[in-house]
Amino acid sequence: MLQYETIFMTDPNLTDEEIDAIAAIVESITTTAGGKVLKTEKWGKRRLAYPVEHREEGIYTLMLLECPPAQVKEIDRRYRMNDRILRHLTVRMEDESQLGPSPMMRPRPAERDEIPPDAGIAP
Amino acid sequence: MGRRDGGSSRGDAKGRKPFKRKFLFRKKKFCKFCEEKLHFIDYKDVRLLQGFVPERSKIFPRRISGTCSKHQRKVMRAIKRARSLALIPFTSD
Repeated sequence: MLQYETIFMTDPNLTDEEIDAIAAIVESITTTAGGKVLKTEKWGKRRLAYPVEHREEGIYTLMLLECPPAQVKEIDRRYRMNDRILRHLTVRMEDESQLGPSPMMRPRPAERDEIPPDAGIAP
Repeated sequence: MGRRDGGSSRGDAKGRKPFKRKFLFRKKKFCKFCEEKLHFIDYKDVRLLQGFVPERSKIFPRRISGTCSKHQRKVMRAIKRARSLALIPFTSD
């Protein structure tokens, strides 16, 4: 069993349920092989640094897994088959600190890359 | 055939400043990551990485930033991962 960190970025128009469905597939692949999900983190919608397939935004989901190496191949294959997933990456966990909240979750008031949750609803 | 020794002595012909003077006021560089004992550089830490890709989004070279080779490699890998995920740009014009 090895620890991996996997992240996928999907179409910004997907609903929360659809994102959860993808995460559930990843989870089922790990658990059926005796692995487990250590952490799931949703970054929500983020502005992309460059357009990907004509989209300016994307929804990021990060997961930390513990599973046999063969499962990573399967997860990767599933990612590639799903055309709503625009970008994905699976790497070995390098540091214990990754189990905690990622730098993305750090509260920072004026981040220009992040879209404020209540944008456009100003009174 | 013609002579092909052009250029070999051209550099010395120009007047050069004394070598020593150039380095008189140079600041001592240090590796930022060694200083902070940071062993892991996260590709998700966009704010940290953005400090290493100024303006044109080129990776800040070691000779300027002073980062040691070990950490420069880690920074490089983190930047490339972040780029592929569209977290930081490849170019910016």
